[in-house]
Amino acid sequence: MVRIHFAGIDLGSTMTKIVIMDDDEQIESSVIYHTGAEHRRLANKVMEEALSKASLSIDDIAFVMATGYGRINVPFADRQITELSCHARGVASFFPNVRLAIDIGGQDAKGLKIRDGKLLDFVMSDKCAAGTGRFLEVISASLGLKVEDLGDISLRSTKKVSVSSTCTVFAQQEVINYLSDDVPLEDVIAGLHDAIAGRTARMVNRLKVEPDVVFTGGVAKNVGVVKALEENLRCPVLVPEEPLLSGAIGAALLGKEHVLKALARGETIQTAKRRLEEATFFK
Amino acid sequence: MTEPSKGLLRAQEIYQDRSHRVLELQKQGKKIMGYLCIYPVPEMMTALDIVPYRIFGDMREPITKADAYMPTVNCAFLRSCLDLGLKERYSFLDGIVTSHICDVGSSLSGIWNYAVKTPFFHHIDTPHTLHDTSLVQERGLLPEYQKALEGFAGQEMTTGKLKEAIRVHNEQRALVRELYELKKQDPPLISGVETIRVIKVIESIPVDEGNELLREVINEVKERSDGPQIKSARLLVWGSILDDTALPEMIEGLDANIVMDDTCVGSRPYFSDVEITSDLMDGLAQHYLIDVKCPRTFRVRDYYDVHKDYMKDLEFRFSYLTDYARDWKANGVIMESVRYCDTHGYEVAGVRDYLDSVGIPSIYLEHDYTEGALAPLRTRVQGFLEIIS
Repeated sequence: MVRIHFAGIDLGSTMTKIVIMDDDEQIESSVIYHTGAEHRRLANKVMEEALSKASLSIDDIAFVMATGYGRINVPFADRQITELSCHARGVASFFPNVRLAIDIGGQDAKGLKIRDGKLLDFVMSDKCAAGTGRFLEVISASLGLKVEDLGDISLRSTKKVSVSSTCTVFAQQEVINYLSDDVPLEDVIAGLHDAIAGRTARMVNRLKVEPDVVFTGGVAKNVGVVKALEENLRCPVLVPEEPLLSGAIGAALLGKEHVLKALARGETIQTAKRRLEEATFFK
Repeated sequence: MTEPSKGLLRAQEIYQDRSHRVLELQKQGKKIMGYLCIYPVPEMMTALDIVPYRIFGDMREPITKADAYMPTVNCAFLRSCLDLGLKERYSFLDGIVTSHICDVGSSLSGIWNYAVKTPFFHHIDTPHTLHDTSLVQERGLLPEYQKALEGFAGQEMTTGKLKEAIRVHNEQRALVRELYELKKQDPPLISGVETIRVIKVIESIPVDEGNELLREVINEVKERSDGPQIKSARLLVWGSILDDTALPEMIEGLDANIVMDDTCVGSRPYFSDVEITSDLMDGLAQHYLIDVKCPRTFRVRDYYDVHKDYMKDLEFRFSYLTDYARDWKANGVIMESVRYCDTHGYEVAGVRDYLDSVGIPSIYLEHDYTEGALAPLRTRVQGFLEIIS
């Protein structure tokens, strides 16, 4: 039986994620890379790897939907759609009862109000890295820790400190002051997680917090932030198995839905050139 | 290929070199009067053959000199206006009239007079509320202003001259409304970007020339074949000053047409006429204090202060937005405000609650009044369009 395949590529500010799925919405391959300066330009390389893992060629892909901040830098994408719609669609595919999705990525945080799988409203953090993955990266680097270890360390806390500011630079200074005062590391890190969670909770409160609440993005891998978010929102927070992929999965699903709708209307599917080439910014 | 329309082309040329025309007129002996915001009653300038020239900022020019006088937590538009004044971009003005548009605007007036030193200066302390005494106060400010302008112009402002000036300005308001009628069609016959250009330009040239330009634009737009295309979203934009096409360009570069606005380089100053009253100053005071619906004038007295009914108060203040959305078939509202614009910032929650209550989707964009800072807003606008379309 010949299968039709759909690809979703989420070119985020920090991570690039690709998912290839078949028409039964089964994921055949996924790839996650640091975006960096080069990979933003070389989305084609990431796609090649995903195709290779799925033993497919680019011509086997019926539709490519691009999302994320770099969505316009994917030359082989057939259509672009915002990460807001894609995250909502992706999250609803894992958790059909989701009413609020929170995505904290490398450089921003989003709250998505979802009903019956559809995005109804959203809030986004402003142009400041405070309260995002970048915030944790900067702090962990200054402490000489790996960012992926912060969550487990914070769970040992018995008396978290209060970090008054979530400005990355000022928070860094506060952390140093606490450590100079011999405050245990785990209490300081738990305080940082609480600062992120508090900031996020204040932001999403406008959307009215109702379960199911789902947490995605790279920061959702940090169990300390998940715990702090549950405390701040006063409700359980669900995290998908791979919280980084919800945008790319949503993009692939929206691509499939776009194709089905067009076919139902008897329209021809408009696709881009199926050539894997580097993005050119200087046209 | 379609010939570029002459009116729109002329509007674009003046938009790009806004002072060109008034400098020509100045060489011919005309006096050019800068005014900040719409409240310095330009009719009174026109009555004395003075060319009113509205002060704008420049979001493409970094603010480098104004920070020495105004804190950075003040509205960036007003800081930009001062910055341009300090950089002598308004040095050709023969005078300037300011008003108490907001507290920052009022403080800017004093700083301008002290630091920019335009030859003629007058400040109108326009009231902010609609209490019983407010209209009396506004009316009472106008004779002193009249005397100051007469001294500047060296002539008397007769009733006949003022009446004629009000007539010509009302004619301009009618022409702007006629232009906006052409935005009711789908697709609109003129884009949001083109509309801002035209409105900014008519506030930069004598009112009679502005009227001529408007007639040209209206006639050309009616016949054009190169206008906006049909898009999924028809938007109403509400908010603080938009004196640059950058934000509308970003919005209309997506799947949306801006079909209506309630902004002050847009429909806001033009959608009600000045009534010709037996005492002409009464009509002018009524128009600028009461009829122009700008958040700088607080309208919360009747329902909120007295009856404590928040939703009724919102309906009283913002129901005209429902009329706009219905008549221009807008399916979403973008609320925008320059960061630290207090008067608009305070109003956002009320406008949003009102729009929610009548089922009109909206999104709020706060921006820094810099061209580069608009790019991150693109995702928000596109996400909003994906929801409403």
